[in-house]
Amino acid sequence: MELREFFTEDGINLDLKGETKDEILKELIALLGLDDKSEGILYKMLKRRENLGSTGIGKGIAIPHCRSLVVNRLRVAFGRKPAGVEFKAIDDQPVHNFFLIIAPPLEVSNQYLPVLGKIAQFSKEADVASRLEKLHSPNEFLGLLQEKGV
Amino acid sequence: MHPQLETLLEIQDLKTQRRELQETASERAMQEEVFNLGADQAIVQLDEKIAEMEDTLPTLTRNRYNRIASRYERVMVPVIGGTCYGCFVSVPTALSSDADRNNEVRACQNCGRFLYLID
Ligand SMILES: [Zn+2]
Repeated sequence: MELREFFTEDGINLDLKGETKDEILKELIALLGLDDKSEGILYKMLKRRENLGSTGIGKGIAIPHCRSLVVNRLRVAFGRKPAGVEFKAIDDQPVHNFFLIIAPPLEVSNQYLPVLGKIAQFSKEADVASRLEKLHSPNEFLGLLQEKGV
Repeated sequence: MHPQLETLLEIQDLKTQRRELQETASERAMQEEVFNLGADQAIVQLDEKIAEMEDTLPTLTRNRYNRIASRYERVMVPVIGGTCYGCFVSVPTALSSDADRNNEVRACQNCGRFLYLID
């Protein structure tokens, strides 16, 4: 299983407009192309997860995630906010790169935790933050995932 | 979407999150190690939120909910491709292909679980 398989160019936005954590979450959800009702429910669920503790894992990266009945397969998106946003991250630094992961409650193929783990592992690589900063296109993002072999 | 259906769906999503933290060791480890989450404290907070939302259900729905919850871990399940993902029995076509789907609170005629229709 490779991370590359789960991302599509539609689900990548290298220039998020949001200025707050809430606006960023909404923009990330919008990348999944769901109906309004589902988007609203996901927003509430992701907010509740953030209230338990921020998904900002440091080095300018956050991984908002949850399981929800509104999706029937694993969905992911990537967003970048070059200026960064306050996200209550572990290291108290602004977050620039966001990986969104939404999984159905039950998955036959059990991809959720492995995907979450791979993204966490990818995020910890020393040069990843600076590489993400320099991306020019969604395709380059996909290329980076491939290059890192995650 | 029917407002009670939405509440039931949100309760179910919260219960899923709670169950994963409580019962899936790998999920718990991931949340603690990667996200620095205090799992036990999170479970207490989730329980409070679930109870708070259960209290908003009108009596009739609440009674049905309690009956299902006493029998099954999952109170609401998806219907995918015409199949109830609680008991894996087909649901009647009229129910699963309704254009106004999810505008009513519906239950599986076989297992009784609340149903959420998705593509
Ligand atoms: Zn059923």
